[in-house]
Amino acid sequence: MSIIREHTQATLSDAWRTIDIDALEEDSPANFDTATLRPAQQQPEVSEADVRQLQAQVRQLLRGGDAEGALRGCLEAPAYGGSELARDAALHTVIEVLQSIKASDMTPMLRRIYGGAGGSECLDVLMKYIYKGMAATSSATGGAPRTPTRMTPQPTGFSQIGPRPGASGESTGAAMSVLLSWHEKVVEVAGLGCIGRVMTDWRKV
Amino acid sequence: MTAPEVHHLFHNPIADHSFSADHKTLAVARNTTVELYSKVGNAFKLKDELKGHDKTVTSIDIAPNSGRIVSCSQDRNALVWEPTPQGYKPTLVLLRINRAATFVRWSPSETKFAVGSGDRLIAVCYFEEENDWWVSKHLKKPIRSTVTTVAWHPNSVLLAAGSTDAHARVFSSFIKGVDARPEPTAWGERLPFNTVCGEYMNNSAGWVHSVAFSPSGDALAFAAHDSSITVVYPSAPEQPPKAVISINTQLLPFMSLIWNGEAEIIAAGYDCEAFRFAGGVDGWQLSGAVETKGRPGLGDQREESALNMFRQMDLKGKAKDDTQLKTVHQNTITMIRPFETSGDAVKKFSSTGVDGRIVIWTV
Repeated sequence: MSIIREHTQATLSDAWRTIDIDALEEDSPANFDTATLRPAQQQPEVSEADVRQLQAQVRQLLRGGDAEGALRGCLEAPAYGGSELARDAALHTVIEVLQSIKASDMTPMLRRIYGGAGGSECLDVLMKYIYKGMAATSSATGGAPRTPTRMTPQPTGFSQIGPRPGASGESTGAAMSVLLSWHEKVVEVAGLGCIGRVMTDWRKV
Repeated sequence: MTAPEVHHLFHNPIADHSFSADHKTLAVARNTTVELYSKVGNAFKLKDELKGHDKTVTSIDIAPNSGRIVSCSQDRNALVWEPTPQGYKPTLVLLRINRAATFVRWSPSETKFAVGSGDRLIAVCYFEEENDWWVSKHLKKPIRSTVTTVAWHPNSVLLAAGSTDAHARVFSSFIKGVDARPEPTAWGERLPFNTVCGEYMNNSAGWVHSVAFSPSGDALAFAAHDSSITVVYPSAPEQPPKAVISINTQLLPFMSLIWNGEAEIIAAGYDCEAFRFAGGVDGWQLSGAVETKGRPGLGDQREESALNMFRQMDLKGKAKDDTQLKTVHQNTITMIRPFETSGDAVKKFSSTGVDGRIVIWTV
């Protein structure tokens, strides 16, 4: 009897813990848009046409054999705050450039970029694209990309229940391995701080 | 460079530490108590425990001249511990906050202290003689999130605060009757209470872990969770600053920073060791670690016999003991403070962290 009473008293007295006090308070973060914490977007919105233009320039540089110039071009004009389509196009451009660069050229190129003016910022942007690319390719292998019923993205990049990767799966797998090797090289040059900045930064590519 | 002085106090995290001016007393925040250590020979011995908080103590500070200790805790209270012949006597301070208190520091004048809190405000507390108690005034606008850290300007009126809304701000905490009218500075001329003299954030907007004014008070540095430190040089009141310099590093984020003169900053954090930054108005860069690697005792590998090696392989599956970090601190450093100074320069500084160690470094 006494145990039961103590128990109910404990539950009663703990009930206040489940109250969502943030909802009751006017100026709590739950009640305002956290976007207002950040300064207004400094860069103008990137339109799809801009991205296409950049893509054409980058392809031309790639054809001319200037992979470093192409990579720099992509990273110096990150697609912050554009439409979904524009940002996806920018991501594809970056992945295209990354895939065209030989493994032996990666580290020296990254070092040159990091050593240049605004180099740390450039590699942060590259890291953002790498993570975005990983998320995109892993969701593509997780479910059939063109069917409307998408499966939830697998954070690990591997899926146990998805269909066996077909021809498209192989290409995304290749893209993933390119991204992983770039990830390793970027961390080598820009350090772990780079990963931390990608996570804290509110400017998403 | 002389070897650092290392004391392993206990196996608990140290939230904050503070030395008395004569270096004889060390106050350490451990769980819900404040522990006072005094130096006996080469070791720190527990002398007293100040029990008054019933939740984790988040920050403590000893006033260098009066010897008063102020502590604050997640139980939303701050206590001022007055030294008396019978021991320390606590006085409760009415902070009027309904979230945890996170950080407390005495003003250089020692007539006020500032408490940062999770209630999105800073309580500036001062003693009211006629009522014989500590009262607080709130710095509220435009803070949008938990205040993680505060730092005082040498004039005891300006107060810098870092917050999880990624801003470092400079406020006026002028209180009539307590403060003398301050000299105009680059931060502001007329300074009624809660004047916002500056609001800064860096590009990637990590939340702010630590702020500090330079010894002259004419520059502000803050460390944020994006592994960067940012130095702000104000130009004139209500004008954009002369320079805002951000240094992104390859390291993990810094938790605490101090100025050494006007041209050097020492910062430490999740990398478990302290680093130096050098520079001025024209630019700053990372100039290296404070710790010299390959110290005797840890760096050099002992000569192992073959028998011992195989025994280790058999017992542990490996020959080398790799459970130790190469740094003196074995976990995140959460607080560094100047220990010995000459003028504006720091000659020694102390650091504490999650590993329960206090280390005194020679710069």
